[in-house]
Amino acid sequence: MTTRAQGAVTETAVIETQALTKRYPGQVTALDGLTVAIAPGITGLVGANGAGKSTLIKILLGLVEPTSGRAMVLGHDCRLHGERIRTLIGYMPEHDCLPPDVTATEFVTHLGRMSGLPATAAKERAAESLRHVGLHEERYRQIGTYSTGMKQRVKLAQALVGDPRLLLLDEPTNGLDPAGRADMLDLIFRIGTEFGISIVVASHLLGEIERICDHLVAVDAGRLLRADTVSSFTEVRRVLLVEVEEGARPLADELARRGLDPRPYQRALLLPLAGDATYDAVRDAVADLRLPLGRLERRRHSLEELFRDGGEPALATTEVPDAS
Amino acid sequence: MPADDPYSAGPGASLASQPAGGVIYDRGYRRYDGVRLGRLQIALALFWHSLRSSFGIGRGAKAKILPVIAFAGMCLPAAVNSVAVARGGPPVVFYGTYTFPLRVVIMTIFVAVQAPELVSRDLRSHVLPLYFSRPLRRRDYPAAKYAAFTVACLIMIEIPLLLLYLGNIVSAKGSSSVWHQTRLLAGGLGVGALWAVLLAAIGLALACLSAKRAYATGAVAIFFFLTWTLAQIIYSVAGHPVVHAGPHPVAPGVTAVPAITSGQRLAGLISPFTVLDGVRQWLGGKVPGPMAPPGHYGPVYGVMFLVLLAASLTILAIRYRKAGVE
Repeated sequence: MTTRAQGAVTETAVIETQALTKRYPGQVTALDGLTVAIAPGITGLVGANGAGKSTLIKILLGLVEPTSGRAMVLGHDCRLHGERIRTLIGYMPEHDCLPPDVTATEFVTHLGRMSGLPATAAKERAAESLRHVGLHEERYRQIGTYSTGMKQRVKLAQALVGDPRLLLLDEPTNGLDPAGRADMLDLIFRIGTEFGISIVVASHLLGEIERICDHLVAVDAGRLLRADTVSSFTEVRRVLLVEVEEGARPLADELARRGLDPRPYQRALLLPLAGDATYDAVRDAVADLRLPLGRLERRRHSLEELFRDGGEPALATTEVPDAS
Repeated sequence: MPADDPYSAGPGASLASQPAGGVIYDRGYRRYDGVRLGRLQIALALFWHSLRSSFGIGRGAKAKILPVIAFAGMCLPAAVNSVAVARGGPPVVFYGTYTFPLRVVIMTIFVAVQAPELVSRDLRSHVLPLYFSRPLRRRDYPAAKYAAFTVACLIMIEIPLLLLYLGNIVSAKGSSSVWHQTRLLAGGLGVGALWAVLLAAIGLALACLSAKRAYATGAVAIFFFLTWTLAQIIYSVAGHPVVHAGPHPVAPGVTAVPAITSGQRLAGLISPFTVLDGVRQWLGGKVPGPMAPPGHYGPVYGVMFLVLLAASLTILAIRYRKAGVE
């Protein structure tokens, strides 16, 4: 795959994969030569459902063997040292994984023991973890009585109980209402920034990633689309937006004839911006067709936009040939 | 890490000061730099946790009702026997068989209800990914569960035997009598161990096939009762109708039943309980069991025991090879 990943990486990557490939029986390819390095901090792992996010997480946990390629977590090879890695990672699965008939305290304590904590330490850390995620008196209630938001917090607390160096969170805002999402994101941000724990958040919701992550890894169909800092993803894009009151289609044809590559976007057109020549071409085309020009601007785009038009093609427009 | 408000009080101390709204997370994070247990010690912790939940310990009061009743029921014959012996009568309960039908019924119920407690719950609530994202290896989980449930069955079976022994030696006269009782007890404990090892394996293997507890309980109960009933039916059908009227053993002390057919000797292979009793008699158990002694088919019972055990453990291992990953 591409080497763009290295742009986002310092020498101490928490996760590093090289040509990581996973094929399931029946020719299903979940990961296809994924090479990426993830730096400490909060990293978003974005992609549509089925893009390979969950498979990547399972390989990192040493639960699934890659078909080929290599994956390293915190300097350990996933294939060889799964056990060691699993003492360093906290994992929050996407789906419901809580028994309804035990209290959060009992549950998190037990999982603390399963993380290798002695009995007393497990009790203490369970209480602390639950407090960190904002569960107080409720932690003595059975989990079955909890709201979805509280359940998500218990899932996060059990990932935190073993004092991990890295948290893998799979769709942590699943099933939450907007307020619950905001709370969960704040919580993750605090853990990532104040607790000194690196976090990888898998999500298909780019808006969330944008809010809390330093870095972003976008995957699609098991391949790396792009890995970079969030700010570079959202940096001023060398794309020109042209909006005419009417006649967008003839304008598109005219621009194409002039060697540009217009793409419809809502009621407007997007053009790769290659210096003043592009502006001149637009000016001439609009003048020749006598169209009422409504808007002409250089675009700053959000992540949502990158994917809105269906993943790869939208992202591909960020790689327009330009002078830089 | 730097904390805005590093706290020094214990974890419980902060509770009172928390506002009801509960949005304060910023209490400082403490790293854990204490002892970390290895994989085997974690498996041991899982073993204890599972053993406790086999008897409803660490669960609500409701979870303890059945194990307590079952255990009390298992101890009842020992109590009756000690009264009988104290009055100068002969022992009415034997170490090797221990009121066979009662043991069958109680162990069937115990295994059917408690085996799903150990495995179906975790399957049902999809908690396995949380175990397998921790240091435990895949096999450790079923191994810990099996060890725990075997010990639970041992407690159910062997403690009543020890009570039986106590009741007998209290009334025993002379050291030779005590020695005799001790030897009988050892044999009984050995048989009990075979029971525990096999019943725990079958119970867990059947229970782990279903995430729904009711189905798991049903599967275990039906399997044990059905095979037990079937063995008895075939036993009586295979006998000579004139000579032998029913499956019940003749009075204790009389071992030879005339004209036992091969069919009768093999009928016990159908049920785990009669397989266990066949093995007992093959290994030299003298007390008559629920069916005729296996005679020269004894080794077949030994093989059947191993086959049932191996099959159950294989199912258990396969079930957890992929569980929690897909």
